[in-house]
Amino acid sequence: MSAPLLETRNLTKGFGQKTGWLAKPKFLYASSSIDLKLNSRERLGIVGESGSGKSTLGRLILGLTPPTDGEIFFEGVNHKNRSTRGWKEFRVRTSLVQQNPLSALNPQMTIGEQISEGLLVHHIAGRAVAHERAAKMLEQVGLPSAMMTRYPHQMSGGQRQRVVIARALILDPKLVVFDEAVSALDVSVQAQVVALLRELWQQRDLAYVFITHDLRVVRHVVDRIAVMYLGRVVETGNIDSVYEWPRHPYTRALLASVPSMDPTIRNIQPPIKGELDVAKIGGGCPFRSRCPFAIEKCATETPVLRTVGNQQVACHRAEEFPRPVQVGREVA
Amino acid sequence: MQRLLTVQDLVVEVPGRNIKILNGVSFSLDAGQTLGLVGESGCGKSMTCYAIGNMLPRGLAQAGGSISFGPGQSGSMRPTIAMIFQDPTSSLNPVHTIGYYLETALYRHQRLKGNDARLEAMRLLERVGIDNAKSRLGAYPHQFSGGMNQRVMIAHALAAKPQLLIADEPTTALDVTMQAQILYLLEELKAETGMALMIVSHDLGVIARLADKAAVMYCGKIVETAPVEQILRKPSHPYARALINCMPSIDPADHEPPVPIPGSVPLLDNLPEGCYYNPRCPRAAGDCFRRFPPLSAVEQAHEVACYHPVAA
Repeated sequence: MSAPLLETRNLTKGFGQKTGWLAKPKFLYASSSIDLKLNSRERLGIVGESGSGKSTLGRLILGLTPPTDGEIFFEGVNHKNRSTRGWKEFRVRTSLVQQNPLSALNPQMTIGEQISEGLLVHHIAGRAVAHERAAKMLEQVGLPSAMMTRYPHQMSGGQRQRVVIARALILDPKLVVFDEAVSALDVSVQAQVVALLRELWQQRDLAYVFITHDLRVVRHVVDRIAVMYLGRVVETGNIDSVYEWPRHPYTRALLASVPSMDPTIRNIQPPIKGELDVAKIGGGCPFRSRCPFAIEKCATETPVLRTVGNQQVACHRAEEFPRPVQVGREVA
Repeated sequence: MQRLLTVQDLVVEVPGRNIKILNGVSFSLDAGQTLGLVGESGCGKSMTCYAIGNMLPRGLAQAGGSISFGPGQSGSMRPTIAMIFQDPTSSLNPVHTIGYYLETALYRHQRLKGNDARLEAMRLLERVGIDNAKSRLGAYPHQFSGGMNQRVMIAHALAAKPQLLIADEPTTALDVTMQAQILYLLEELKAETGMALMIVSHDLGVIARLADKAAVMYCGKIVETAPVEQILRKPSHPYARALINCMPSIDPADHEPPVPIPGSVPLLDNLPEGCYYNPRCPRAAGDCFRRFPPLSAVEQAHEVACYHPVAA
């Protein structure tokens, strides 16, 4: 196998936070020592609660924010060694789809102008050709090309998100980062966009990084998943093996928190209490303050990712947890 | 069981224009019961709640039908209905402390003042799961997370000792772990206080978890209503069935991707002739294009507005 499309080594990003006037800023880590590999045409999901650092990871990958430490390689080239021209090329080969399509689109430009803009900016096509390609792209995302002359406010939320996807794909990128791309949509529209993402992936040479907090949706979009907690990847592996047998207590809690479609499953105690607390980062396992299985070792020794079963888990007690019975029990 | 709320042929429209936001909505709710309202954005779920709470937005008016609550009529119903919303942080006034917010509610509903109000506010905060309630009374909403603010909203609702709590997408903006905590809290409070609950959500998992009966809405009309088990296991209306198939499964054995509903919800000023769902419906034929089907019973307590319902 050739070099991976994307690789991060020991990727770390800290944000300084002042605790008082003149106080030395304390560093909070939105991501710490993340090692990821993504091959071309691979689809990786990143899940976790808000504040887990998943969006920061997306921004780091795309070079929208510089890392505090560590390296990112895209197609074998280190972000640090990219020239201005190198960055321009990188921008052609990657793109981003964000949560709110209305704020991602320019209200003063027509849909056609926005989709073809990338082709013009990068001098890939002239006006006429760009227009033609934009119309074709629009049809590929399931919208009539007659919509080219419309403005964003004249469309529904689902249509706008399709436009954003069309704009992201017009340059034929190798990697698209989706940051909560379907979270704001209605279930029916969400299902349409999920079907579209599956279809586009079939047709093109595309890799996805799919960032979301929705554990139902992610399962139908990605091949592999990374679960993040306070800036660390705590479990990663093939999507099916993680859902069948989650090994990290945090992954288990996340999956058990998804309300089942079976109305006989009720009065379930929440699997974990409280919420992610950035201030609690210290030595040891980041999850230990909420973990019902924490032992002394968890406070002294930070667990690192190791292979357990079919996936990699950062937990000292990962072997002890049985295959859950209840996860995903649904109405037939 | 005592009847708590009866909504009969409720019509809400934009005056002057022929746009019906709600078009003949009827349902009833018994004391202690939980009703789940399901549907896509714009189907009128939230508007039904606002109409019951007598808080329709400016520019909309109730144009027909009746809402009767408890033994009294709609005029006397406000004190015993409480409501919580999707975005707790923007529902709270940023310039007031949590304590002020709760204490004013306690004064209004229970005439509690001074130390009594303070103690009761602390008790409520502890009840909804906020630790360290004493020091939290002086906090402002921006110092709390979304989940904590939703707890404050629930505490505020409890201050009115409501007979009916209306929860409009209460967990949609929250993380799944926080959602599990809030759902459990609502289950506990329901059992403790015996209040009825109306829950609006587009997440059928939330409805399955809390509701006793559910109503599926489409374009301002109820198209199916039944006990929640019936609706989830044997949906009769093609739309209800399609909504269920839209939910992505998390069952490791089920690899079927969610099945999208073709097309989109029609605009309320441009509704199709006949059944509003006919452009998207695979079963539409004949009468579907002429008249909107009336709600009719397929089983006891299970009503469907469809000429060609899906057989069980």
